[in-house]
Amino acid sequence: MALKNRVTFFLLTLAVLPALALAQAPVIQISGANFRPLPLAYPTPNAVGQVPRATLTEFDSALSFDLAAAGLFQLLDRKGFTAASSEGFSAAAINFTRWQDVGAEMLAKAQLSMSGDELRGEVRLFNVQAAKENLRADHAVPSRDVRKLAHMLADAIYRQLTHEPPPFNTRLAFVRKTSGGKDVYLSDWDGRNAVAVATGSINLLPAVTPDGTGVAFTSYRKGRPELYVQHPGSAPTALVAAGQMMTGVTFSHDGRKIAYSMADGEGAQIWVANADGGQAHAVTSTQYFINSSPSWSPDGRRLAFVSNRGGSPQIYLMSAEGGDVRRLTFRGNYNQTPDWSPRGEMIAFTARDERNAFDVFTVDVASGKVTRLTQDQGNNEEPTFSPNGRLIIFSSTRRGFSELFVSTLDGATQLALPMDHGDYTTPAWGR
Amino acid sequence: MGTAEAQQSLFNPPRTRSGRYLVLSGVVHALLIAVALLWSRFFLPPALDLSQKPIHASLIRLGKPREKQLLPEKEEPPPPPPKAVEAAPAPTPAPPKPTVPVPGVKPTEAHPVKVSGAKQGDDHRRDLFNAFNKISKSTSKRELTGALNGDARGDSSVDEGDRYFGLLKAQVQQAYNLPNTLSDDERIRLKALVHIYIGGRGQLLKVKRESSSGNELFDNAVLSAARQAAPYPPPPEPLREKLQNQGVVLAFTPNGS
Repeated sequence: MALKNRVTFFLLTLAVLPALALAQAPVIQISGANFRPLPLAYPTPNAVGQVPRATLTEFDSALSFDLAAAGLFQLLDRKGFTAASSEGFSAAAINFTRWQDVGAEMLAKAQLSMSGDELRGEVRLFNVQAAKENLRADHAVPSRDVRKLAHMLADAIYRQLTHEPPPFNTRLAFVRKTSGGKDVYLSDWDGRNAVAVATGSINLLPAVTPDGTGVAFTSYRKGRPELYVQHPGSAPTALVAAGQMMTGVTFSHDGRKIAYSMADGEGAQIWVANADGGQAHAVTSTQYFINSSPSWSPDGRRLAFVSNRGGSPQIYLMSAEGGDVRRLTFRGNYNQTPDWSPRGEMIAFTARDERNAFDVFTVDVASGKVTRLTQDQGNNEEPTFSPNGRLIIFSSTRRGFSELFVSTLDGATQLALPMDHGDYTTPAWGR
Repeated sequence: MGTAEAQQSLFNPPRTRSGRYLVLSGVVHALLIAVALLWSRFFLPPALDLSQKPIHASLIRLGKPREKQLLPEKEEPPPPPPKAVEAAPAPTPAPPKPTVPVPGVKPTEAHPVKVSGAKQGDDHRRDLFNAFNKISKSTSKRELTGALNGDARGDSSVDEGDRYFGLLKAQVQQAYNLPNTLSDDERIRLKALVHIYIGGRGQLLKVKRESSSGNELFDNAVLSAARQAAPYPPPPEPLREKLQNQGVVLAFTPNGS
């Protein structure tokens, strides 16, 4: 018994000694880190067996763009890589020293293989410093969905490194100006694989349906603005029973409600209805004033909208059931197109400055603090948040024509979406 | 008889040529030795005591002492009690108020307090001092710290060890880079302890992770920061042994609490 006690005492002493030593050493608190993009090496993906070169290139460009647009990674220049291109795909076969030498902290390797019409992609993520594998993810898709495969694997990398919902396998709706009017398109998040949904008239202000398969939009097909919902290849259906002029439909984050603006004599009011258009009712009643562009808060309890009740278009907040109205923007005299972040803390909007240039800003809902994302680069308008609230897509004329750009929330990384040349406006990111 | 012969041999140099040269050589050598001895006695500085350690001094300014918990732990005898400070000889009378030096404001000279008999003619001067005091109070955002027995002209609020840890912190902070990929939640929640041991010349002797945050990238980053910040400033003498044997723990958090 005594021996047992002694052994126990000895073991306890061994356990406590390091803690005592630690307690004796002075402790310095270090905080306020310098945040910077993570240096990530992503070499050209390998093909196993017969994979068409075009497929490999398409996959590579889609995955590279996703990683670059995320704004979280510093994609290292492949020209500087010193590792052999034939280097293996497993941790044992990788010379991590060579990757460390080029400044990589993480290494993403991808490879493709084909079996009949099935395209299989695999990505592995390695911690260079620890020389070990962190992630192994693979997906198989029909060969025509090579970009979708790239987005899925980019999502896997994003999720592994951020522990947040990834944004790349999502949908985007936008308007493209044509000779006959304006068409509404539905595409991948990066504007590729775009499919025309509503054509042959003036179709505006799209919103991706909650299931991501269709688009709700405003159309002048009957001569006055009305709301429709349409899926690619099918006919449009009226979203709300025909009434006054209606514009700018938007879905709540849970997909159960819609909000839109409807003309009311000389003004316009915000209306809220079920997603199928039922139980519609006005939630503003400011006669003679225009209330438009509603956007739902993530919890569905509040709406941001534009109103000129104060003399100029400004962003206001209100309860989704009406009332409790609060003005959010006070600077500038033309603030419009609000989009409430899915994270809830901020609203992105377009503001026109004293030089009549339009730029994208965000405003903190709690403090009202305004942050500028664009400046002196043409007109930048109609921001829309990614479903995870980390990115914003907006239209910009900085290169002489209207195209879509993706930006990080601080505006530090802004990239043009890799779309065909065209006149694109009014992006709406599906939630 | 023997002594007389010896005296004769000294004062009566030998008559041979070689004998004369020997005597001359002896006299010249004696003169040279005498000159050398006199030179070292009156003109050369005293010999250095190489075993004596250099003394570093810094002037601690007069002010409110820092709170004890903010001071670093040092294996030194406790400071003398306040009474000893009061008992210390004060060659000059204390200034009217322990005003703190303010950057940009020329320090006023200490004047003895006039206990009684203030004249009307001094009102103007008093007003001037009051004005200076007001400026000092309005300019100074925070109370400067120092020591009760500090010097009004001192520019250091900390002792040597405190200053060293400040330097250490600043150096690590410069190398403290974190990836943007950390989520908002992680930026608040993550914490990692890194134990470093520093040699006498500031070299990093050993680094080890005391506790993991659970996030590999964060753990890598804090270890890198500890390594990349080296070599550290050479520790002051009182801290050398402690930093070498017990080390110092760096408690990393992303944003700070």
